[in-house]
Amino acid sequence: MVTSGKGGVGKTTTTANLGCALARRGRKVVLVDADIGLRNLDLVLGLEKRIVFDLVEVAEGRCALRSALIKDKRFEDRLWLLPAAQTRDKQAITEEQTEAITRELAGMADYVLIDCPAGIEHGFRNAVAGAEEAIVVTTPEVSAIRDADRVVGKLGERQMPTRVIINRIRPDLVKTGDMLSVDDVCEVLALELLGVIPDDEDIIDTTNRGEPVALAEATRLGSIYAKIARRLEGETVPFTSLEPPGFLERLWGALAG
Amino acid sequence: MAEQQAAATVQPQSTEPMDDAAQAPQQLGAAIVITSGKGGVGKTTSTANIGAALAARGRNVCLVDADVGLRNLDVVLGLENRVKHHFLDVIEEKCALEDALVPDKRVPSMVLLPAAQTREKDDVRTADMAALIAELRKRFEYVLIDCPAGIEMGFKNAVVGAQRAIIVTTPEVSAVRDADRVVGLLPAGLEPQLIVNRLRPQLVRRGKMLSVAQVDEILRLPLLGVIPDEPEVVVATNRGEPVSLNATSRTGEAYRRAASRLEGEQVEIEDYSAEGGFFERLAAWIGGRR
Repeated sequence: MVTSGKGGVGKTTTTANLGCALARRGRKVVLVDADIGLRNLDLVLGLEKRIVFDLVEVAEGRCALRSALIKDKRFEDRLWLLPAAQTRDKQAITEEQTEAITRELAGMADYVLIDCPAGIEHGFRNAVAGAEEAIVVTTPEVSAIRDADRVVGKLGERQMPTRVIINRIRPDLVKTGDMLSVDDVCEVLALELLGVIPDDEDIIDTTNRGEPVALAEATRLGSIYAKIARRLEGETVPFTSLEPPGFLERLWGALAG
Repeated sequence: MAEQQAAATVQPQSTEPMDDAAQAPQQLGAAIVITSGKGGVGKTTSTANIGAALAARGRNVCLVDADVGLRNLDVVLGLENRVKHHFLDVIEEKCALEDALVPDKRVPSMVLLPAAQTREKDDVRTADMAALIAELRKRFEYVLIDCPAGIEMGFKNAVVGAQRAIIVTTPEVSAVRDADRVVGLLPAGLEPQLIVNRLRPQLVRRGKMLSVAQVDEILRLPLLGVIPDEPEVVVATNRGEPVSLNATSRTGEAYRRAASRLEGEQVEIEDYSAEGGFFERLAAWIGGRR
């Protein structure tokens, strides 16, 4: 599952891009939008016009799981979306139902990525019910890290293996001391680092157009998501230096340390 | 529900400054919920900045953090070390309301009512929340309620005591879609006004971001403000200093103008067209004429 506590830090974008990156590697991936009532994963993937059935209808037994899955044609039969219901609320589905659906999906695919809603209410508990592993997405901002820490605590109660992706980092602001660094964030959250994604205006546009950046590995962000996918598969991949550390940055690090 | 319907007809109080926090019952303050559906679009930042701008104009303001379990308004205001109690303590009568209110460091007429960090949103009963907001309206000219992301219990509790609503969105398709959904879920009579946050005029000009006019076309809400995207907001938020108290800040100025509009003043909508193209200028012009 992909979660964060705070909204707007990039859960949906990360889910979509990681899904694309894994599918590009030949894996079979199902993306589940668990944000009932405020779905967006369909938009980010550009699949919003192809939704027929949704997660709640599957849970209620009103359609077969297979018929609710939308195939992303850009990946033959390797990337699928299970959309959330838009006009229902999160209480429309139980933890047991999500768990059963996730288990069934896990039997059909190599990866099931669950896009969790913001917050730690019923929607979070649903999303976590079927998951075996968690990815916490945060931005290097105090409020996002505080919320992430709260979620990490909740995941810890369930002994769920958890790694962190730090999203929207701006090396220039880190350098001037106006933004927390990767090390600062890792220190607070005490989680294994899965990826670091720089703030890039391409994301806004590609998201609006429903074309995840990870469709192409040739782009800067595309290559970063590809590396995260490799790490998720257990490979050891060195972290992309967002910028060679300058003298001042090293000095600052030394002083701060 | 009946109480809320009745409350919805109460007009916002006059803009006359008040002598005293203790008011006659007929001079109830305005409770305004700041909501968005999608998280991370700037609800908390907007609550803090509009609140600070109103307080700097001499209003008595109470900011309520309704995000039980994931509070952040205290951090954005730089008050996290001064939080002693939270609103659930007040509801559960573990402390007096006065004891839970945290006075702001910079603007004396603003206080924060924090959320509980280690409790759940389901612990709050909607009727208790409505009563709490009603009590605050007796003491403050403005009660700004910072709503949690989503449309679950936390949303319902944040909305229940409000007579007005501010919808915050960014010019992104997903945020606008969620905002549209929230507008549909608001109780009748809240007359939502819109803040378009984190606008990047350069991206709009290059066709890579929705313009204010495009957002407006989908949501069709009166515009309360347009806030440009500036790294200074991230910096200020991390430091716990609302930008609207910074006289030289561009985003701060945009928030101050939004606060004036909230008080019913006719202030032209920001024109960032010098950085945008013809259509953006047109949009700003159309926006300003309303």
